[in-house]
Amino acid sequence: MGQRVIEMENLTKVFGEKLIAVNNVNFAVEKGAIFGFLGPNGAGKTTTIRLLLGLIRPTAGEVRVFGEKMTPESSNLRRRMGYLPTNPRFPSKMTPITYLDFAGKLFHMRKEERMKRLSSLIRSVGLLGDSSREIAGFSTGMITRLGLAAALMNDPELLIFDEPTSGLDPAGRKSTLELIAELGKEKTIFVSSHILSDIDRICTDVGVIGEGKGIFSGSIKDMKKRTRSRVVRLELEGDVAKLCEALKASQWVVGFETRGGFEVDVTFGPEMPMAEAVREVTNLVSRLGLDLISVSSSTSSIEDAFIGLLRDEESRGFLRAV
Amino acid sequence: MKSRVGSSGQSSRGEALGAFWAIVQADLRGLFRSRITYGWLLAAVFIEVISTLSSRLHGTTSTVVSSGLSDFIYLWSLVIIGLAASSVSSEAGELADSIMSKSVTRFDYVLAKFASRIAYTLIGFSALTALLVGLALRLEVHDYTVLGLASAILLIALTLVMLTTLGVGLSVAMPNTVMAIVALLVLWYSMTFFFPVVGLNLLSPGSLVSNLPDIVKGAWSWGDWETVAGFVAISGASTALSSAYFYMKDI
Repeated sequence: MGQRVIEMENLTKVFGEKLIAVNNVNFAVEKGAIFGFLGPNGAGKTTTIRLLLGLIRPTAGEVRVFGEKMTPESSNLRRRMGYLPTNPRFPSKMTPITYLDFAGKLFHMRKEERMKRLSSLIRSVGLLGDSSREIAGFSTGMITRLGLAAALMNDPELLIFDEPTSGLDPAGRKSTLELIAELGKEKTIFVSSHILSDIDRICTDVGVIGEGKGIFSGSIKDMKKRTRSRVVRLELEGDVAKLCEALKASQWVVGFETRGGFEVDVTFGPEMPMAEAVREVTNLVSRLGLDLISVSSSTSSIEDAFIGLLRDEESRGFLRAV
Repeated sequence: MKSRVGSSGQSSRGEALGAFWAIVQADLRGLFRSRITYGWLLAAVFIEVISTLSSRLHGTTSTVVSSGLSDFIYLWSLVIIGLAASSVSSEAGELADSIMSKSVTRFDYVLAKFASRIAYTLIGFSALTALLVGLALRLEVHDYTVLGLASAILLIALTLVMLTTLGVGLSVAMPNTVMAIVALLVLWYSMTFFFPVVGLNLLSPGSLVSNLPDIVKGAWSWGDWETVAGFVAISGASTALSSAYFYMKDI
């Protein structure tokens, strides 16, 4: 097991004795990981991040960052962290230069060091032409880029991104993801998102939260494996009804579903290896004289895995209730 | 890239003050660049000059200085109320994103806000009072003592510090700026006009203003000490309670 940068232990946050935003969550992030924090809107992702930064106090449990307990007074820990919030807000009268200089002072950086760092960051995030303009007139993309520069100002060991691609156009989204992947080569990154393809693209590990509860933590590969749906999707031309009759009689098929008269999803039992399942079904199609237009397996979809996890948790919650 | 900003060890005293000073400087810079400050200073200079010139024939130093100082209680307090009561609540939206997520403690932030708003009030007050005293000393009838004049100025300065600490305190406690301003207006004008009616002269800036001409002339009573103690206690309590509340609250 590698060195743990973040550890959440029975982390719970209840707002006003009414809303349980985070419910007994246990996650750990190892050094050097790009940890994707997944969950639908309102699942408790931002509250968890605020707990992680010491902006709010847990009702129960604790968060440890770099092995130390995080509290609102842990300025020494925040000094090693960078944070990019969703739709960040900055003092509107400041300019990128004055704000980054201010942020550098808040990180106790020396003047010479601040100036060097802010000028290179302003250039890197493409705000050189607007560096003396008031932030008040900035677009969402420009504010996100400034937020990114502010998050990197102290050259942190741990970066926390809360929905970093929210509100960005496709080009901005692509470059942000590329940047996160690049930063992940030398830093530990905790990135929350509900955009599954973003997480699939850049993360090494993943944590899933639903209705405030942690429902999965592990590698993306493990997540997909755990929720493997073992479905082969066929697109056909010909008498699909004939295939359906044959599937009904088959021992290795658990179930099937037709769509639009030309698509069939065939679900296999867990004992059948996927490669063999594909071979069996394509042989059957060939024997029945149908034209196979395409064949695909849905086992690799992170969307299916994510939805499967949420569905499992929902049914477990229901069972616990009854 | 390796970290260049130090390790996770405890910050030294000098480093801890770094965040405090950064917030004080940024806040003061914002305040002194605001139109409200220019408007306040210009209007106050205009009124001081006009009122001193109109007092040339029948005014004395004590009446002119007292009248000028009372403007801070009745009129310019509105500027201080607006700026003090908006100090923290107006930043609520950006506070976590732009400040508290950095290497800043709760006390760094809230004490910096108290310090910068008090400094702003005192700088504005000192500049205008210097002009007021300069003009008043040009009058022909001098009925003041140096100690009395200094005492009157310091008493009003203390009163404005109390108003500022109450404003910042309410700004920490109230969920939005409008509520904080309304609460401070009600509190301040109750103290000024209503407290003397119910016999709470010691805690009333209004009673203090009515004693100002005598104080400028050199009269200082035990009651004035009690006023000083009361205002210091209110300022201290407001600072301590609101800092403790800010330490506890979620951002």
